Amino acid sequence: MPRSARTPRAARLAGATAVALAAALALTACGSSGSETAGPAKVVQQKTDSPYEGTVLGKHFDKPDLQLTDTSGQPYDLRQKTGGRTTLLFFGYTSCPDVCPTTMGDIGVAMKKLTPEERQKVDVVFVSTDPQRDTPQVLRAWLDSMGSDFIGLTGDLAKVKTAAKALGILIEDPVTNPDGTVTSTHGAQVLAFLPSDDKAHVLYLSGTEVKTFEHDLPLLARGVAA
Amino acid sequence: MKGTLGFRRTALAGAVLATALGGGAFLVACGAGGQDGGGASAGGAARLSVADSYIPMPPAGGMAAGYLTVRNEGGEDDELVRVSSPGASSVTMHRSTASTMEQVEKLDVPAHGALQLARGGTHLMIMGWQKAPVLGDELELDLTFTRTGTISVKVPVKELTYRPGQQ
Repeated sequence: MPRSARTPRAARLAGATAVALAAALALTACGSSGSETAGPAKVVQQKTDSPYEGTVLGKHFDKPDLQLTDTSGQPYDLRQKTGGRTTLLFFGYTSCPDVCPTTMGDIGVAMKKLTPEERQKVDVVFVSTDPQRDTPQVLRAWLDSMGSDFIGLTGDLAKVKTAAKALGILIEDPVTNPDGTVTSTHGAQVLAFLPSDDKAHVLYLSGTEVKTFEHDLPLLARGVAA
Repeated sequence: MKGTLGFRRTALAGAVLATALGGGAFLVACGAGGQDGGGASAGGAARLSVADSYIPMPPAGGMAAGYLTVRNEGGEDDELVRVSSPGASSVTMHRSTASTMEQVEKLDVPAHGALQLARGGTHLMIMGWQKAPVLGDELELDLTFTRTGTISVKVPVKELTYRPGQQ
């Protein structure tokens, strides 16, 4: 089915699906607040009594059961390694020029503002949606530009897609363009899992400002309830 | 270290200009563009200027994005149809959507309006750097518009997380 993504129309459709998905997610998030409804702007708003600036999720996704390879080439079990720890999860690929480095870079900036104690409690995990090109070495070199302690995972794309799907994140097979570049379709939201229950409680849509991450990361590090 | 000469010279010239103008990509662009002249009679013609141009220092791999704003103070629409650079083998225009990005062939610069290339939206994708970019470098971008012709700008390489209007 992902083969069809090669045609522009299918790509556009996929984009539309993603928009719909993002909207659906935002709606899910809104469900938690259950407060007075209003225009579309309100839909993405977080629970008004939440200490977080990110979008507070109404549905608390489980941390995916995902076994891949980390940047040192070792097997990495996401649930096992990050269990009981604050975890930020993002799916993307290293030959992505715009959204991926922007998002990961902004998280890197916010992470550097934490105290060493806080930082030590947070795992930032980047899962590749283009594992064929994103080898452990490639991932490490790329992530080091944003955070030398960022965790990079790569491996079986089918597993990655399944894990992402369970989180409401759409991923398609990477497409090689006529000029040799690769485009990967991937939901670009960041999910934050709290240490208390290892479930996702806060969502950061693509385009989230760095000051939002700076505001929320200390809270996430301390495991403050959303 | 051979093939770097062309880039170096460009970078140097850019540095001098940037220093002289105090980081005003806007003014650099103006000078290079030489608008007002351009197309038809002064009144209605597109009058373009480029502002806030920057390239975030690309993470390892050299896949970079370029961002800038093209203002049009004239009364005619224009469109950006091609971008090239003497310092990079490929510069293409792309638009990020919620979950992917697509290449675009042209971008409108509306009369009395602006074309904004910004993070998470429309951006330039820059590949094949002659010399791996470092902070403070400047890359010449030649922006070709249907009506106005080509405007050359020297675009500074900034920190990965730089945003215009901040240090």
